[in-house]
Amino acid sequence: MNIDEIKELLGLTDEDMKKPLPKPTKWSQPYWDAAKKHKLVFKKCTKCGHIDHPPYLYCTECHVDDHEWIESSGKGVLNAYAVNHFGVPFPFWPDLPYVTAMVDVEEGPRMITNIVECDPEELKNGMELEVVFQERTSEFTLPQFRPVKK
Amino acid sequence: MSKGEFAVIGTGEVPCGNYPDRTEFEIAYSVSRMAIQDAGIDKSQIGAVLGAAHIMGGEYNTEVVFGRLPEAIGLRNCQVTGQTVSGGASSHSIRRTAEGILRAGEAEYVLIVHSQRFSQFSMNEQAQYFAVAGSDLEFEVPYGMTYNALAAMVTQGYMTQTGTTVEQVASVVVACNRWARLQENAMFRDKELTLERVLGGRMVAYPLTAYMCNVLADGGSAYVMTTAENARKVCDKPVYILGEGSDYSHRSIIKSKARNLSDMGKYLAPVAQKAYDEAGLGPSDMDIYEVYGSYPGVNLIVMDALGICEPGRSGALVEAGETSPGGKYPCSTNGESLGMGHTGTGCGFAIFVEGVRQLQGKAGRAQVPNARFLIENCGGGAFMDCHFTIMGNEIP
Repeated sequence: MNIDEIKELLGLTDEDMKKPLPKPTKWSQPYWDAAKKHKLVFKKCTKCGHIDHPPYLYCTECHVDDHEWIESSGKGVLNAYAVNHFGVPFPFWPDLPYVTAMVDVEEGPRMITNIVECDPEELKNGMELEVVFQERTSEFTLPQFRPVKK
Repeated sequence: MSKGEFAVIGTGEVPCGNYPDRTEFEIAYSVSRMAIQDAGIDKSQIGAVLGAAHIMGGEYNTEVVFGRLPEAIGLRNCQVTGQTVSGGASSHSIRRTAEGILRAGEAEYVLIVHSQRFSQFSMNEQAQYFAVAGSDLEFEVPYGMTYNALAAMVTQGYMTQTGTTVEQVASVVVACNRWARLQENAMFRDKELTLERVLGGRMVAYPLTAYMCNVLADGGSAYVMTTAENARKVCDKPVYILGEGSDYSHRSIIKSKARNLSDMGKYLAPVAQKAYDEAGLGPSDMDIYEVYGSYPGVNLIVMDALGICEPGRSGALVEAGETSPGGKYPCSTNGESLGMGHTGTGCGFAIFVEGVRQLQGKAGRAQVPNARFLIENCGGGAFMDCHFTIMGNEIP
C-alpha cells in the first residue's frame, strides 16, 4: 500500500502527514540557527567548561549564565540504534525503514539522531560517523549522521 | 519511613484489555469498592483518597482534581484528596504521599486508585501521544523517535554490550506470558506465546518484534493503606512496607547516569541494595521479584540489579525458565505490562497489588507457595527513574 492509499483509507489530511518540527526555546534557538547554516553546535559554560546538550537556561553544573556556542567537528561514534519498521507516527511512514540512534559526538555530548545513507544491516556499534544536514523546511535543518566512508 | 510502619490491607482490580464501554469512572468506582470490601473496613473509615493521573488527560483528571472520587464512592469522612503524576513511577510517588498523610495523622486509612481507558482514543492519537511521551519534543521527536524505538535502542545497546541474545530477550516475553495465563485479569490470559511466535512476530523496531512491545490496555486497580498498628487490628494478613530505594537518572536517555547501557543494572544495584538494607533482608530472602520494565530488555536491566545473578547475565536466567512459574526466581507474576497489558501509569499499580495478593495468599492460580517477602519496582518516563520496594507479610 502506498502512502496515498493509506491516507485515503485512514482519512488523513496533509496536515496529519507533516513531520513534527522543533519548537525552540529562548536558550536553544542558537542551536537551530547554527543547524540552518549546516553547523552542529553545543552550549558550553565559559566558567566551568561544562557542555549541556540539550541546552538549558543556565549551566546545569554551576548555574552560571555565561556561555559560548562551540562548533562540533561533526565526528561521532554509534552507541546504539533501532531500525524502525512499523508503528511510527504517520508522517514518518514514507521513510520506513529508518534508523534512530544514539551517537557520541567527539566533543562529549550524546545525541538522538538518524543514521542515513546506510544499509541498516551494516550498522555496528562503535562505528565512525559524520554529521550531515537535512533541510526539513526552510526554517529547520536537522543534524543527522552517516557512516564515514573508508 | 521506619521498617514496617505502614501496611496494605486490601486490593481491587478489574480485567485489563480493550473495554471501550467501561468508562474510566466505572473502573475507578469498581476497584475502590472492591479494595474497601477486601480490606474489611467500613468506607466511613477512609480519610484520604489519592488518584493517579489518567494518561492522555481528559475529564477524569479534572474530576479527580475536583474531588469526584470521594463523593461518588460515598466516603463521608474523607478529609484529604489529591493526585500524583510521575508517569510509570506514579505508583511509588502516590504511595509515598499516602505514607506522609498517615504519618501526619491526617487520616487513618488511605484509598489509592488508578484507572485508565486508552480505547477512547484513536490509534493515531495513541501513536502520536506515545511518540511524544517518551521522547524530547525538541531534540528527539523530529527524528521520528517513539517509545518502541527508545526501548529498541536500549535493548540493542544492552545486547551488544552484554552478549545477551535476542532469544533471551524474547524469553522474557514468554515467561511473562506464562504468568499472564494464570491471571484472570491479564489481557493475554487466553493467548499462548512461544519463543518461535515472539521471534517471528512482525518487526516493529529492530530488534523488537510486536510481541516484545507492550500493548496499551484499559484497566485499573486500587488498594487501602494504613499504619501497621491499625492494620493488625482489622486485617488477618497485612502486607508491610519494609524497605525503599529510589533514584532519578535522566529525562532523555542520552543523559542516563549509566553511560554504558550494559551498566544500567550495575547503576541500579545500589538502589535496590538500599531497599534490601532498610528491610534487613537480602536477595535470597525474596520469594518473588515483581519486576516492571515495560519492555523485555528493560526487565533484564532491572533483574540485573536485584542481586540474583551477575549484571548482564539475567537473560540466561530467564531463558532457563527460572523466572517462570515454578522457577527459582518467580518474576513479574502478573505477567507484567507485556502479559497484563499496559495501562499507562497503572503498570506499577498492577504489579504492586499483585505483590500484595501474593503475600496475602490471594493470588489464585499464580500463587507462589508460602511467599513471605518480595521486591517490587517501578519507574517512569524514558526509564528516567527506578524505585525498589521490599514488602512482606511479616516484619523480620
